Amino acid sequence: MPKTIAIHRQDQVRAAADACVHFGFCTAVCPTYVLDGEELDSPRGRIALAREMLGSDAPPSETAVRHLDRCLSCLSCESTCAAGVSYRDIIDGARERIEQSRVRPLPQRMLRSAVARVLTSPALLRSGLAAARLLRGGALRLPGPLGAMAALSAAPALAALAPRPKAPPARRAAAVRRVALLDGCAQSVLGAEINAAAERLLARAGVAVEPVAGVRCCGALELHMGRRRSAVRHMEQTVSRWAAALEDGRIDAIVTTTSGCASVIKRYDALLSDRPGLAARIRRVVDAVRDITEIAQELALAPTGAAQGLAASYHDACSLKHGLKLAQAPRRAMAALGIDVREIGESHLCCGSAGTYNIFEPALAQRLGQRKAAHAAAGRPDVIAAGNMGCLVQISRFTPVPVAHTVQLLDWATGGPAPRGLENFQPRAAARADFPAQAAMPASTTADNGDLLW
Amino acid sequence: MPSNDPIIDFASAVAAELGADAITIGDEVLDRYGEHTLPGPDVRPGAVAYPDSTAAVQTLVRLANRFRVQLYPISNGQNIGLGTRSPVRPGQVVVDLGRRMNRILEVNEELGYCVLEPGVSFRAMHDELRRRESRLMISPTAGPSQGSILANALDKGGGSGAYADHFGMSCGMEVVLGNGDVIRTGDGSLAGDAHPNWHVSKYSFGPMLDGLFSQSNFGIVTRMGMWLMPRPPHIEPFFFTFPDDEDLAGIIDRIRPLKQTNFVPTLIRATNDLYLLSSAATHPEYAASGGARTLSDEGRAALRREYGLGAWTVSGALYGASREAVEPQLERVARHFLALGKGRRIPLDEAERIGPLHIAINSNTGVPTDSELKMLGWRPGGGAIWLSAGSPVVGEVVNGFQRKARRICEDHGLEYLLSNVCGARFARSVHAILYNREDAAETARADACYRALGELFASSGVFVGRAPTMYHGFHQAQRMPEFVRACSSIKAALDPNGVIAPGKYGIE
Repeated sequence: MPKTIAIHRQDQVRAAADACVHFGFCTAVCPTYVLDGEELDSPRGRIALAREMLGSDAPPSETAVRHLDRCLSCLSCESTCAAGVSYRDIIDGARERIEQSRVRPLPQRMLRSAVARVLTSPALLRSGLAAARLLRGGALRLPGPLGAMAALSAAPALAALAPRPKAPPARRAAAVRRVALLDGCAQSVLGAEINAAAERLLARAGVAVEPVAGVRCCGALELHMGRRRSAVRHMEQTVSRWAAALEDGRIDAIVTTTSGCASVIKRYDALLSDRPGLAARIRRVVDAVRDITEIAQELALAPTGAAQGLAASYHDACSLKHGLKLAQAPRRAMAALGIDVREIGESHLCCGSAGTYNIFEPALAQRLGQRKAAHAAAGRPDVIAAGNMGCLVQISRFTPVPVAHTVQLLDWATGGPAPRGLENFQPRAAARADFPAQAAMPASTTADNGDLLW
Repeated sequence: MPSNDPIIDFASAVAAELGADAITIGDEVLDRYGEHTLPGPDVRPGAVAYPDSTAAVQTLVRLANRFRVQLYPISNGQNIGLGTRSPVRPGQVVVDLGRRMNRILEVNEELGYCVLEPGVSFRAMHDELRRRESRLMISPTAGPSQGSILANALDKGGGSGAYADHFGMSCGMEVVLGNGDVIRTGDGSLAGDAHPNWHVSKYSFGPMLDGLFSQSNFGIVTRMGMWLMPRPPHIEPFFFTFPDDEDLAGIIDRIRPLKQTNFVPTLIRATNDLYLLSSAATHPEYAASGGARTLSDEGRAALRREYGLGAWTVSGALYGASREAVEPQLERVARHFLALGKGRRIPLDEAERIGPLHIAINSNTGVPTDSELKMLGWRPGGGAIWLSAGSPVVGEVVNGFQRKARRICEDHGLEYLLSNVCGARFARSVHAILYNREDAAETARADACYRALGELFASSGVFVGRAPTMYHGFHQAQRMPEFVRACSSIKAALDPNGVIAPGKYGIE
């Protein structure tokens, strides 16, 4: 059987796999290993499977496909790895090999193609969503991915994140900057309120959102499904449109509210390294991409007091925490506006959303979602916040606590409408003092809940 | 029908009594559990068992006696550089307590303690206290955050903060002995079901047996009490850095009074440049020398400049009602260290911008971290050995060891990485020997380096604290024979068939 991954990339994946020296720190932070303790469902086990698969001309084994499919690509292992293994290269490369080998049964391949196509095409997704809602009762009883998609279409977050029929007028400061705002294929249909909130927030601080025609999909979803060829097509198109806007001064930054997309865009230079002619433009785009919470910290935003003391359990989306290494920016942005940011247990573990994971691995995803929701709701928060729509959809299925994207809270705290489910919130006099939290960054050193002795 | 393999018969009996999920002999699992980072071959277990209760552990011990199988208990298996999850001898059955015995059995807010099973990690306990909005804090290690609190204490591990002596802060155990008995130590040994003093008093009637189960193989500890400190309203980490290797003597002599008076409540660490910087950088000259030479002085100086750190960096923390309240103490500590006439204070806001110092900030404020373990990538190939020698907190003594140990590391072509963790009278000198385990020559040098360091300390009357599994016999042979015989006698009394980890800590 011919090799189906370009040789140089196959070598790169092998080199990444060979860097694993089996310290084993990764196992304890891998969601699937934590659930079932299965070695082949740990990063080390998967790396061994990938190494074996890429070192052979034989088609990928059923075992390899099963265990590599069960990986969430959350990259918690990569954050913990002391040997600096680039797990993302390994899992993406392994999945590309599996897809190219066409070892999956035909119905599975057709389903995966359809899902990739629908989720990256807003028009198709809109129709699909409408159909799922019509068929909900029956569709929910379907096994596997179809039932999972029906269940997702009923997630409370979808109603909470739907566009407002009558959008409140944004109070605009005179525009001093112009930026692009990535729509996100799925988010533009399923969570339009997120970018509406981002636009309001930016406008309030004098940042105008400039539409950039032709930017459709960043390629992240297809890349994670192993469909590299079509992913790269989308990446190239995206680079060319954004680079042109940056070069002719129409925009000076590309703002994202979809960390799943941003974490892949930030890797464009590596992912498109075999396009040397594009290198300068890719670098320009990569440098210009910023998460909304990074930008928010630089803006002159004054809290209105509407969200003062709001208890927000903050869930680190894996793509933010492990992919982009952004843990502090969202917390600081919310805390600066009077929001009481609360940490949740097992913050390093994925919620089970993971792109299309909760469609193709619904049983594991459900267990992870339930576990995450229980942790997030444990402190009786007013809201569960996260910086990625997929996490909000997933968590909302397992808890009655309202969910909101971080940017919705920032928007609300500075003059925007309350996120749905929080309309009756009464501001509290003072936020609880910050509580030590993160391992990767220094913790806060003062808390006001000490013993009376002091 | 019995096979000719006692492991197979044991595994079948375990599966029959505890369920198929309670044991595995799958190759992929055994291979993984045999891996470690030490300069010797992997040590493959015969099986891996996953008990879910003290009763299940008791069953494993009973069956091990019946089939004459040796058990090797681990908790979370995060003992990287000390043996990881691998048993001390091939074929022993790893008893993985962490997989299913990971419950927090009690948190007593009033008295300030918790009761834990072996699998409760620093991260899990931290998260649980936060979930409860507890007034208590943990004393984390510098990593890994997924390590077991119970096992760290039993292995005489240390942490951060005022409760850093983890074995000292443990109180009251439940233990399955090798003869199959289950005992409760301390006040827990009273007949009956109610034991309000079990996890608060060490001074009950009769001998204090808890110490028998630290660094030994006399029993399997299945639950333990750990004391927890109320979180102060303000914790102020402090840092000082000094330029020269020889500054260590003065630093140690300055630390001693701060600890003896308890002016500084936390342990104070005096850590060398490469121990800190290896968590942020890889060996910049490794490729050029193929790992045969240690980092040059110029390379070392360049790294120090890049991160704004000197040859030694001192870290600790003060507790108080507020930042303002601790300021006078902080000034006093600064005057105390800077009276050495060299070095500088690193203000907290500057420290927050220096990655390698986040480790001390987080751990001193009760937040588990994994950052320090990034040092394991200093050289390629994943080899790591920890050597924890002790020393009196006397500058001349500690510095004398520093000179000799540095020379030994350099003679073996390996970098000298040292962190002195200082109490009032005793400093644990934690050496990290990092090497390329995929390079046979470098591996042999790492092994020789460890043994030379072990000889250096032993010949000076100083013993190691924690030790890697493959060197347990080496260190036990350094003891007086009467002590070794006493250990064997205790072993024979409590574990007559030698089913619990024979060879661990050199005890047969």
